[in-house]
Amino acid sequence: MSVFRKHESIVDRASSDRMRHKRKIEKAIKESIKDVVAEESIIGQNGKKKIRIPVRGLKEYRLIYGKNEKNKSVGAGGDHTLKKGQKIGKQRAEQAQGQGKGGGSDQKGDEYYDVEVTLEELAEYLFNDLELPDLEKKKFRFISEETIKRKGYRFKGIRPRLSKKETIKRKVRRKKKAIKAGTYDPEGEERFPFHQDDLKYHHIKPKIKDNSAAVIFFLMDVSGSMSQERKYLARSFFFLLYQFLNHKYEKTEVVFVSHTTFAKRVSEKDFFQVGTSGGTIVSSCLEMELEAVEKEFHPNSWNIYTFYCGDGENWSSDNEKSINLFKEIKQISQLTAYCEINEDYRGLTDPEPDKTAHGYPWDSFSAWKNEDKNNLWSKLTPICDNMFKKIMIGGQDDIWVAFNTLFGGKNSE
Amino acid sequence: MSDWTVENLEFWDQKICEIGAKFGLDWHPIDYEIIDYQEMLGTMAYIGLPTHYRHWSFGKEYERTHLLYNMGQTGLPYEMIINSNPSIAYLMRENQLYIHILTMAHCVGHSDFFKNNRMFEDTNPNNIINSFKSAAKYIKTLIEDPSIGIDEVEEILDAAHSIKYQVPRYPGIKYKSHQELLLLERIRMNQKPVYQPNLERVPLRPEFNILHFIAEHSKKLKEWQRNLILIVEESSKYFIPQALTKIMNEGWACTIHQKIVNELELPDKLHIPFIKLHNQVIRPHLGRVNPYHLGFKLFEKIIKEKGFEEAKLIRETHNDITFLRFYLDQEFMQDMNYFSYSFKPKSKHHTVDDITNDEGWENVRRELIRNVGLNGVPTIYVNEIEKNNTLCLTHEHDGRDLDLAYAKKVYEYIKVLWKDEVRLLTFIENEVWEF
Repeated sequence: MSVFRKHESIVDRASSDRMRHKRKIEKAIKESIKDVVAEESIIGQNGKKKIRIPVRGLKEYRLIYGKNEKNKSVGAGGDHTLKKGQKIGKQRAEQAQGQGKGGGSDQKGDEYYDVEVTLEELAEYLFNDLELPDLEKKKFRFISEETIKRKGYRFKGIRPRLSKKETIKRKVRRKKKAIKAGTYDPEGEERFPFHQDDLKYHHIKPKIKDNSAAVIFFLMDVSGSMSQERKYLARSFFFLLYQFLNHKYEKTEVVFVSHTTFAKRVSEKDFFQVGTSGGTIVSSCLEMELEAVEKEFHPNSWNIYTFYCGDGENWSSDNEKSINLFKEIKQISQLTAYCEINEDYRGLTDPEPDKTAHGYPWDSFSAWKNEDKNNLWSKLTPICDNMFKKIMIGGQDDIWVAFNTLFGGKNSE
Repeated sequence: MSDWTVENLEFWDQKICEIGAKFGLDWHPIDYEIIDYQEMLGTMAYIGLPTHYRHWSFGKEYERTHLLYNMGQTGLPYEMIINSNPSIAYLMRENQLYIHILTMAHCVGHSDFFKNNRMFEDTNPNNIINSFKSAAKYIKTLIEDPSIGIDEVEEILDAAHSIKYQVPRYPGIKYKSHQELLLLERIRMNQKPVYQPNLERVPLRPEFNILHFIAEHSKKLKEWQRNLILIVEESSKYFIPQALTKIMNEGWACTIHQKIVNELELPDKLHIPFIKLHNQVIRPHLGRVNPYHLGFKLFEKIIKEKGFEEAKLIRETHNDITFLRFYLDQEFMQDMNYFSYSFKPKSKHHTVDDITNDEGWENVRRELIRNVGLNGVPTIYVNEIEKNNTLCLTHEHDGRDLDLAYAKKVYEYIKVLWKDEVRLLTFIENEVWEF
């Protein structure tokens, strides 16, 4: 005879493990976002548009056999007449992958969770706690502005700060006391005059206010050598920077300056889409930025960020001038970055690049870790510090690394 | 809502037990827990165990089953039974009476199989629940220990889970200890002076119990980390016999539930839905092997040809591999219309390799057996500990290459456990591959 028990437990025994799983998924989302930021679909989007992020489920890795000819599966053919060499449905075969394995979760195959987030949430995920620990303290600063605030009263002061209310109050008090003491008769003709001791002045205190407005200068070389792919990488990079700064500041202005041999202030759309041909003079756009700063964005009230993207090409006669302008911009900016985008740099951002490998940049271009070359990249080295950084982007994978280099996450330095 | 009371269940249970005893079945007494659908999901996530240690993978399993169930892709099982004494089985409150009757008869079959099949000899059903309970308790204290915490516990568990099937696959065999092997070698050396094995070598013979070996020989593991690895090994040992006998176990349980229910003289309103459900359980799955179907049909054939007593003997002595090797013949496979297929990277298509006909049936059978139970899981063994404490592992290549991406991850996990250098050797496309 068997025993029957009605189970009355209300404890959801799986809850803590589900929670733990959920947390791991969230972490996976954050990691997937890094891949998503470089995707075309979200770049240039603004506002509350929802983005779908495919998040790979958490896999439990085991030793399994690979999918190849020698790893055969067996199935029942049902009523079908099968022939040797016949192709069979893909889907059914996929389903059959799990045949013969231990438990259900051992099956291979990717599980995807589609997660929908808005751009704002994406920024939250990206920047809030993602390997950027010292960011607030070290690399990310606000311009401060001094304002004045009234605080309390003093007996001494200058005439314009006289507080009429306090002065009257003191006079009335003195008058009442005088009546009580009988030294003054209110019914009489005599006036009760103000006295020097009645006068009270406002006291003021200077207050330092953080200014939460930023202007971002995106400068880009649009000359012939900047191919669509290079521009696309620049765009991904700019997008990330924009999202980040926009997330941190209350107000963000963006100025796009494209240049060939001369600079031009353009709209976002033109910035990324319009291609021109011609040579490259980097200093042209730097001059334009300084001009704009002077006219519109005074460094005392704006946090200035400058990001330059090019492919490393510059007329050598212009190098000296550009470096001086970069120095000038560095003085007024919170952060200035000089970024070179070139497919040939792919892999060179690794700690120890193999210089003999095929595809190492040729002489006319800047060369990573080859400081004796006469190019902009090498010549900028002396001015590099926390406020000025050089970055190299070879492919999509480098974008996040570059971002980390700029804002000092764990991965940098 | 439901069409039954516990009294109904007790009434039918008594009849089921009587008939089961009449057939000469011998099973552990069964404790049925009547639970609702939520609890069923929870129980399933923990592979039916009333207590199990905490790990996020169980949470994942819960969500997965829940999702599939909500999307209607899967039904919840009507049977779930633990190999313990007494056996613990679950009945879902939402199910109807005829399902419960089938389930109870089915559980008698499983429990009988657990108790009699020789693969389960070492599973220690009397204590298994308690040993899982104390493992769960131990892991809980580790998680709550401020100097350890959940992240460190998970690091070890995640890694140990990746090789949880890398334990001996032949239950019932007593493996010789290092000392015993040493003694044997010495005896052989005395008998045959030319024989000069390296007695310093660890292990002396290839060691297939990777988890145990690491727990024993890793020099840098902390005591609690060793214990965690041994816990994973223990729970694997409990599941290995089940993985080895899935087809037989399910086939036997289906055979038994059919035999019992046929004698129950159920009223039509219970018997007709029962037949429908029974046929659904044992239906063949197109393009796959349904263990319920294969096991049931094979036992049916055996009972027809050799009688029920012979079948009872088979359920005692065989496992899936020997069962199929002995009793799967061409005629039977033709009835099942089994075929083998594989993915052809060139055409990016799954293509039929062999069908069950005069020239192909043995190939199909070989492939079927190659994928049964743990045969579908690659085997690695410890070759030796090399200089600098490098753990040298070798994949026992049987013609099938490893999935490299997965193998790489597992390799990393083994490094987490060993805490020193690890080498893993295998063949990829006939070339030696070393991680």
